[in-house]
Amino acid sequence: MVRFIIRRLLITIPTILVVITITWGLIKLAPGNFYSGEKRLPPAIEKNIREKYGLDKPWYQQYGKTMWNIVRHLDFGTSLRYEGQSVNTIIQRSLPVSAAVGILAYLLALVVGITIGSIAALKQNSRWDYASMALAMLGISIPNFVLGPILVLVFSLTLYWLPPSRWGGFPSWNLILPVITLSAIYMAYIARLTRAGMLEVLRSDYIRTARAKGLSEKDVIIKHALRGGLMPVVSFTGPTLAFLLTGTVVVERIFSLPGLGNYFIQASLNRDEPLIIGIVAFIAIALLIMNLLVDIVYAYLDPRVRYQ
Amino acid sequence: MSRVNLKQICALVLLASLACTTLSCAVASSNELYFGKTTPPERNILRYVTGDEPETLDPAVSDGQPEARIYMALYEGLVEYDPKTLEPIPALATHWSANNDSSEFKFYLRRNGRWSNGDPIDANDFVYSIRRALSKDTASRTAGLASYIKYAKAYNAGEVFVRDPGNGKFLLAKDFDEEMAPEPLSGSALDPAKGEYQATAEESQPPADSAFHQSLHTPLRLTLPGDEKTRTKVLNGAPKLKEAVTGKEFVPVRAEDIGVEAIDQYTVRYSLTLPAPFFVGMLAHQLFRLVPRKVIEKYGAQWAQAEHIVTCGPFKVKTWKPYDTLVVERDPMYWDTATVKLDEIHFYPMADNPSIMNVYKVGEIDAVLNHTVPNAWLHVVREKKDYMDAVEAAIDYLMINTTKPPMSDVRVRRAFNMAIDKQAWATWRKIVKPLTAFTPTRIFHNYPQPEGDAFNPDEARKLLGEAGFPVTKNGDGSYSCPKFPVDQVEYIYNTQESNKAMAEWMQAQWKQNLGITVTLRNMDWKTFLVTKDKLEYKGFARGAWGADYMDPFTFLGIFYSEDSGTGWHDPKYVSLLDEANRTLDHKKRYELLAEAESYMLKAQPVIPLDTASVNWVKKPYVKGMYPNPASLYPWKYVYIERDQAKWDSGTPSLAE
Repeated sequence: MVRFIIRRLLITIPTILVVITITWGLIKLAPGNFYSGEKRLPPAIEKNIREKYGLDKPWYQQYGKTMWNIVRHLDFGTSLRYEGQSVNTIIQRSLPVSAAVGILAYLLALVVGITIGSIAALKQNSRWDYASMALAMLGISIPNFVLGPILVLVFSLTLYWLPPSRWGGFPSWNLILPVITLSAIYMAYIARLTRAGMLEVLRSDYIRTARAKGLSEKDVIIKHALRGGLMPVVSFTGPTLAFLLTGTVVVERIFSLPGLGNYFIQASLNRDEPLIIGIVAFIAIALLIMNLLVDIVYAYLDPRVRYQ
Repeated sequence: MSRVNLKQICALVLLASLACTTLSCAVASSNELYFGKTTPPERNILRYVTGDEPETLDPAVSDGQPEARIYMALYEGLVEYDPKTLEPIPALATHWSANNDSSEFKFYLRRNGRWSNGDPIDANDFVYSIRRALSKDTASRTAGLASYIKYAKAYNAGEVFVRDPGNGKFLLAKDFDEEMAPEPLSGSALDPAKGEYQATAEESQPPADSAFHQSLHTPLRLTLPGDEKTRTKVLNGAPKLKEAVTGKEFVPVRAEDIGVEAIDQYTVRYSLTLPAPFFVGMLAHQLFRLVPRKVIEKYGAQWAQAEHIVTCGPFKVKTWKPYDTLVVERDPMYWDTATVKLDEIHFYPMADNPSIMNVYKVGEIDAVLNHTVPNAWLHVVREKKDYMDAVEAAIDYLMINTTKPPMSDVRVRRAFNMAIDKQAWATWRKIVKPLTAFTPTRIFHNYPQPEGDAFNPDEARKLLGEAGFPVTKNGDGSYSCPKFPVDQVEYIYNTQESNKAMAEWMQAQWKQNLGITVTLRNMDWKTFLVTKDKLEYKGFARGAWGADYMDPFTFLGIFYSEDSGTGWHDPKYVSLLDEANRTLDHKKRYELLAEAESYMLKAQPVIPLDTASVNWVKKPYVKGMYPNPASLYPWKYVYIERDQAKWDSGTPSLAE
């Protein structure tokens, strides 16, 4: 197991470097510059800017410098758009915002999703089952850019109960609407995954055995069925949590939250090279680590899974 | 399907329709006087959205209008914008004087100017600030605004003078440029007898003239590119110049050569290369605002971070949480701190217009930036008493790539212009004013704005026919133009809902009046800029322009250079503009500018559409903030009015 983890961690490093290289190349291929605007700059002024940021150097020197700083010092450089602000600082500042919203949303999705999904599975084909699955269907089909504004319209603009957007720190009332908006779709997915997983497990031999040896229904469900039934949810959790932690573009945009997702989309639109690379690398790392964690949890939950 | 399920679905449908009803109620509740809550903040603060996250708090670097409004709180220059007219009003300079042809200006500073750390402000701060703004290391995007100042442009571009090592004399520009304008007063020898300046009280005893000033008062020196490769290229293209340069030495243009001088501790003088009557008005721009030398030298690129920054405006930085809030507070060191009415201004960085309007409606902010009310909301918000309805010093237009056929034919360009009903466009867009010229209407007082071609579909079809693309009328009353190469013309715009609507509107007009369907193509902002600048598009590109300073030249100057995005560049147009700017008489100058504008409109490199509208909202209790045409607000005059009887009801008047 330990060897497996070490090997996976080692593979992570070249993967990240490849990701960074591809990102760097794509940025270089994208038309436009961080400094271009409606008013075209005179050539002399453009030249000054290019010299100041080393954009006049040949591509291999620019690439070499970027990679060297990352490999050697883990330094992604300074944002081109936000003068004087280092990429590392920006990530450190915006990660907690994204993580707070993301983790809360996922916790909410887990609690509600698993509850609804379990009820649906245990009472299969009852009105409970239909109602919860209809609700889940609705959750999956309403995109968050529709749900968000509707929630804002009802709870902020009409009832004046909750703030419509902006970051208010942690904890604050401002968190409620973005968290609900973000969790809706995951809640629905988890409910459906739980239901499917549970239904399969409930029909399996070891549940029958458990019942046969006289365990109470509560023990059967909580100790045996749920554990097996949640396997699909666990593998879904890994990548999802990584995405949620590193920011969700749409929700952060709708609610004007200073999270990673908001920075990422702005950095891309602004052609802010160091910031894009920094955030992409960070997301890649988060994704790889989360996947690794999922594999470890898997091994713990399901005795049949063993890594060499 | 079981009945239960059906019930469930019914309930859901009911829920959804309920949500929709609430939605329509919320949007359509137009019986209220104002848009949303009107409870003033408890403290004496203004909560404002100036746009997306500011790039930097360094006024010399950023060229954005959202940043400009922040800089107006934090920094001051010689002059400030008038809150209503945007004319220059005294700031760190109490008054100023120009020489007889507006080619040299003297500014007299107040003695009580102070930095936020208590240090006094004097003339040397101005000299330092402009030199720094123009240095290559600063790489300012707006450095071009200072190009009227002697050798400012040459210094910024890293150019060199050419000196004869034998006699120490510099080569002069006029000897190599036959079309150069005659030297202004600032470029000819000083002659006290001529009385270049009107005598002022301060100068009953004029100070002894400096050697530097005398050196400036000589004909303009020749400057060449500092980079050897480019210089060789220039010289190879000009044999006479190449010969004259042989055996001479190249001397880099230094910061100290720029035509700015501290005459004494409280007087600063600017020497220009050309007469520029509008120069004082430009000095309120962020590029010319003061920056703190000591702090910059100590912290370098980090100086404008919240922990180091020192400012000189009515407000100073209190806290700055990027992408969250920038709080500025009244600066007790500011010379006019008694006039400053607000204790704090909170700038919230936000970019999404509906989100901004939501926050405004619930009363979490007190005012928003210009262009914020989305099209679809206008029918509701425009009726409210807190909607700001005023013209802006900005225009919307379409660029035409004049280098590619069929649009290289002026008749085709004119036909496409005449086929657009701008009055109908303005009515549809609700808040803009139709425009046939290239300068915004009703912005520049006494400017004899020319008129371009009016809407005339018959004439448009005739012109197309003359150009070889006859338009025929179909049986159902529609038109078609089968010979027109529709694959050679398209309309590009940057992805945005309002741009898309505009593109579709124009497309429909051409279809209806000319029988030509122009393909629409959207692209992201930065890609759009490159495509437009490099003339890689064929046909039309969306254009918009806002004034950098309050003079028609800020619009007409677009076609002064070769990079207008249209490929149109005409020496006659350039010489008309040059002549206008040399003209001292204000009225005559405007006439010449109008002549140039008229000349350009006839060539039709653009299709003017409308004079824009400021289109923003502010709560009625926010006073002293006027919908001026550049949407720039001197914050020290802004205050929160708690007496409801004195609240604004409707757009405050801009009349003085």
